[in-house]
Amino acid sequence: MEEILKIEHLEKSFGSNEVLRDIDFSVNKGDVISIIGSSGSGKSTLLRCINMLEEASGGRILYHGQNILDGSVDEDQYRTKVGMVFQSFNLFNNFNVLKNCTVGQTHVLKRSKEEANANAMEFLKKVGMDQYINAKPRQLSGGQKQRVAIARALAMSPEVLLFDEPTSALDPEMVGEVLDVMKDLAKSGMTMLVVTHEMAFARDISTRVVFMADGKIEEEGSPQQIFHNPVSERTKDFLSRFMENS
Amino acid sequence: MTISEMNFFQRMIYIVQEYAPSLAKGAATTMAIAIICTLLGCVIGFAVGLVQTAEPHKKSGIVKRGILKAVKLILTAYVEIFRGTPMMLQAAFIYYGTAQVFGINLGMWSAAIIIVSINTGAYMAETVRGGILSIDPGQREGARAIGMSHFQTMMLVILPQSLRNIMPQIGNNLIINIKDTCVLSIIGTVELFFTFRSISGALYTYFEAATVTMIIYFILTFACSRLLRWIEGRMDGPANFDLATGDTLAFTSGLTRYNEKTGGTF
Repeated sequence: MEEILKIEHLEKSFGSNEVLRDIDFSVNKGDVISIIGSSGSGKSTLLRCINMLEEASGGRILYHGQNILDGSVDEDQYRTKVGMVFQSFNLFNNFNVLKNCTVGQTHVLKRSKEEANANAMEFLKKVGMDQYINAKPRQLSGGQKQRVAIARALAMSPEVLLFDEPTSALDPEMVGEVLDVMKDLAKSGMTMLVVTHEMAFARDISTRVVFMADGKIEEEGSPQQIFHNPVSERTKDFLSRFMENS
Repeated sequence: MTISEMNFFQRMIYIVQEYAPSLAKGAATTMAIAIICTLLGCVIGFAVGLVQTAEPHKKSGIVKRGILKAVKLILTAYVEIFRGTPMMLQAAFIYYGTAQVFGINLGMWSAAIIIVSINTGAYMAETVRGGILSIDPGQREGARAIGMSHFQTMMLVILPQSLRNIMPQIGNNLIINIKDTCVLSIIGTVELFFTFRSISGALYTYFEAATVTMIIYFILTFACSRLLRWIEGRMDGPANFDLATGDTLAFTSGLTRYNEKTGGTF
């Protein structure tokens, strides 16, 4: 299987605070990887390092075999290939829904306006937001904003999509609409890396689950293995607490 | 009836009747200087504010970092000096200084515009810096995450939003400029305050001339503040939005159709 990203011995520290320690894993084409773990375990930081929003302190991130951390890869070009969906949506408040999905295409990918519009409409339709193209972000609910944010990321034709707790800022009744979009995406073969607290999503949709604790990968495997036969005590502990609640 | 026999209102009417062209010309000069200089000041302010908030690139070398730091230092000095000294003295300093040191005789207009713009720019630089800092960092991250460069992020996402946020402050500056052009009378700029001095000097009617001139100043500033409010409202866009749909039957229910070509609605 084609390997898109390979992360080797990745380290990140903020001052003397080590947030990520010796992270190793790879992302293949078509993978849907869920990263789970308690708050503060470094999940989001890992994702932000992969997208270069945080600068890793050590290790390597190979994108198709090329290390993105040594400065040989154009940062902006790389980011168009590795899309990101944020917990707080981060839609551009000064643009309407359609412009949010086209501005990157026209200014970064230099697509024509017609092509960008058609492309944006295709993805907005996919996430069920095509009726709202004239709305400004402030006029939308959280779930709607997140669906637009997903369409915006998809419109850039990325190879991998990173989701940083995409449903954590949403009301319970809006979580479903966003998860449904993500499930459809996963089924369509999109390569996804999802930091999530939605255990049902991790168990049912992902092809692989990574459990993180204290900045390290504690356990990694198929959903079947992680959820039914976890090896590590910490994984067992974490999952039992979660399963009690749901 | 001579002017000494008139009462307060008669004198005011007399001033308006006799000096209407001068007052109008003075008011026009004041407005022209205030508007041009506020706009130029905004341009200076945005340029300075942009540099002040720029972070050196991770990979840029020591030379680039040094240059950025030096430029920032110069700009900080500019802001502090022009905010920290009276504009009246700056006017005298620049106008007479250029004549004496460089032998350049700045015309009335160019001197006025240079002085007020530079002064406004110093205040606007801090306003713009505040405006940029007020934008949620998520906006920048959202833009960078789809591959926008620092420059694109600033021009397309951050500055338009900052501009909206600092509009009230730009309005403040315009109104301050309308009033503060009066200090330009020190270098002989014939604006509204200069006109007031001419009238009061000619007629010895200080109270009446001041009242008339104050009313004109107030009309100018009040009209500007209303106009700016209206512009702010326009920038916010409508409170409602139209749903777009490709379903032609939906027309009857008041929805608009998506235009495949232009990307907007009909």
